[in-house]
Amino acid sequence: MAIKRIEADVVIIGGGSAGTMAAIKAKRKDNYTRVVVLDKGPIETSGAIGRGMDALNVVAVPGYATPENVVEALTKVTEGVLDQECAYILGEKSLQCMKDLEAITGRKPGDLFPLDEYGRYKPRYLHPVDYPLYMPMDGEDIKRALAREVRRLGCQVLDRTPAVKILTQDGSVAGVLAFNIRSGDFYLISAPAVILTAGCAGKFGMPRDGYLSGTYEFPGNTGDGYALAYHAGAELVNMECFQTNLLMKDFNGPACGYVVIPRGGYGVNALGEKYWSHGYWSGDMFLAVWKEFQEGRGPVYLKMDHLPEETIRGLEKILWGTERTVRGLFHKQRNEDYRCWDSVEQGLEEISLCSGHSGSGILVNKDTETTVPGLFAAGDCAAVPHQYLTGAFVFGAIAGEKAVEYARSNKAKKPEIDLKEAREDFFKPLRREAGLPVEQVEIKIRTKISQYLTPPKSDPLMQKMLWWVERMRREDVDNIKVVDYHDLIKVTEVKSIIDCAEMATRASLFRTESRWGLSHFRLAYPKRDPKWDGKWVVVKKDPNSGEMILSAREVPKYKWNFPTRLEYEYPEVKIDIGKGYAHPPNDSTDPWVTEKLIREGLEIPPRMIPEEEE
Amino acid sequence: MERYGQRYYEWIKVDKEKCVSCGVCVEYCPRDVLRLDNQGYPYMAYRDDCWYCDVCTFMCKRKAISLESVPYLIK
Repeated sequence: MAIKRIEADVVIIGGGSAGTMAAIKAKRKDNYTRVVVLDKGPIETSGAIGRGMDALNVVAVPGYATPENVVEALTKVTEGVLDQECAYILGEKSLQCMKDLEAITGRKPGDLFPLDEYGRYKPRYLHPVDYPLYMPMDGEDIKRALAREVRRLGCQVLDRTPAVKILTQDGSVAGVLAFNIRSGDFYLISAPAVILTAGCAGKFGMPRDGYLSGTYEFPGNTGDGYALAYHAGAELVNMECFQTNLLMKDFNGPACGYVVIPRGGYGVNALGEKYWSHGYWSGDMFLAVWKEFQEGRGPVYLKMDHLPEETIRGLEKILWGTERTVRGLFHKQRNEDYRCWDSVEQGLEEISLCSGHSGSGILVNKDTETTVPGLFAAGDCAAVPHQYLTGAFVFGAIAGEKAVEYARSNKAKKPEIDLKEAREDFFKPLRREAGLPVEQVEIKIRTKISQYLTPPKSDPLMQKMLWWVERMRREDVDNIKVVDYHDLIKVTEVKSIIDCAEMATRASLFRTESRWGLSHFRLAYPKRDPKWDGKWVVVKKDPNSGEMILSAREVPKYKWNFPTRLEYEYPEVKIDIGKGYAHPPNDSTDPWVTEKLIREGLEIPPRMIPEEEE
Repeated sequence: MERYGQRYYEWIKVDKEKCVSCGVCVEYCPRDVLRLDNQGYPYMAYRDDCWYCDVCTFMCKRKAISLESVPYLIK
């Protein structure tokens, strides 16, 4: 099969919220720019908001909050590990983001976002600060509107064609290799600028119900963004800051606290007691949940039965009509009703990596530039912590414009790559006569991630995780057999998950403290350590050895001195071998055996050693 | 999808009276789960990739396809 070649100015990897906004802004900045959008699915429905979204979780609406208030909130929930300038931009441009969405969807003011009596947007309280930064949204159909605009502007959209490799030459971006999961077409797209908007690592830990696609995050988000950036030489940060969300148990969708809490709902334990001080998804809240279970007060619930009937009906309309609409069916099948206090059981489900909800991502500056020239990143794969959907739009827009500017002054370099070999290598799992089913390899790595990495993090368990990463790369990855193109992309996805597992483990072992509540609660270092204040753990691929290298780096100097912590304490834990146990070499004089045999008056038998085979 | 003459367990329900085999559900499924069978009706060819997101129901103008249940492991 021939390799299809496309020459472009800007390639966007991932047509989700950030990617579609990037494409729109790139084309609007310069209509002659050749923009290619790649996505695993059709851009009308793919990504986190394919079925709609009910809020922009962080905005600074004039009259209610300022961009500085957003910086204050994010400084607090990230415990000071952030680039405040990015947080400021997030707040500053959030209003424009809302106006852009109204224009793209053709919705009138007051229709997409609620207004107050003065005609201003009306946000609600959610964050653990004194400002309302949460904006409800009636956004059932915004993804279709974004996709329509992307196509209308003349972007070349390759649906069901995910990127499998970012090509670089002399340290700069040169293009992308991509593959169509239906036709099997293999693409070389040369371009000087690439925007990574490939989402988070949602398929990371394994949901406890055992369903592979039953993840909180969109299951097409398999950490490819992180892995593609890593292999292209970019730096990543906060890979140790896990997302440990409190979800609607088994359904694994949002519970949805952010809809319920601003309307008066709250979390209770099995005794019916309110157990959290705020409902914002920061590590202290997850730590509070974890303690309830550890101390025997699980399960926990999201309580709504005390709310007026009108509010409950309103909640049902939102929760069953937007984002994860099957919630209604899920409750119906369990005979659950929001009018009962224990109708929404919650649980800390699979761990994942996501900057939007937590912190993990590709290191970017306020212009969305990564540390690789020509490579930009935005959305859940770019490390702007707690940016949520607002950040995907704000930084997606910036990435689109900055990439166009970059492409104007930089020509695409010709990559030195043996394309035929790259293609042959990619198609190997299809041509192999027999091998491992890809879904089993996925189950294996994801169950290991859940078993060995779920916080609280244990050093010996994390060391074992590295053993599994190495073993699966050596024994399993090159032994996967698939039967069609649809499943072939899963081989790339499994490799991405394994790469993410290694990054997450090594970064967790590198940060010798606990921080962000449960997100990085490390048993060997169960307290915050001031020496890690304002420091990132940076993960990077050594260009020479190919090994993963880690370092600590100061975040950019604070412009505002806001509090850098939340009010919580780690529990007292008694750790004897938390830092790891070095077993003495195995020999016939194991001290335990020696002591036992002496005590029992026996002679120590010589160890039986089988004769070596010739 | 059939095996040993038996249809696989799946959780979409297709109203054959309403379905016109237009393939919109197949084209817009974000996880590429669906295909049309030899009679032109959608089935879950890649069932375990389904995120039970409901896009198939939402995109079908004739309301011919719906989720009968959430996946068994979640239910």
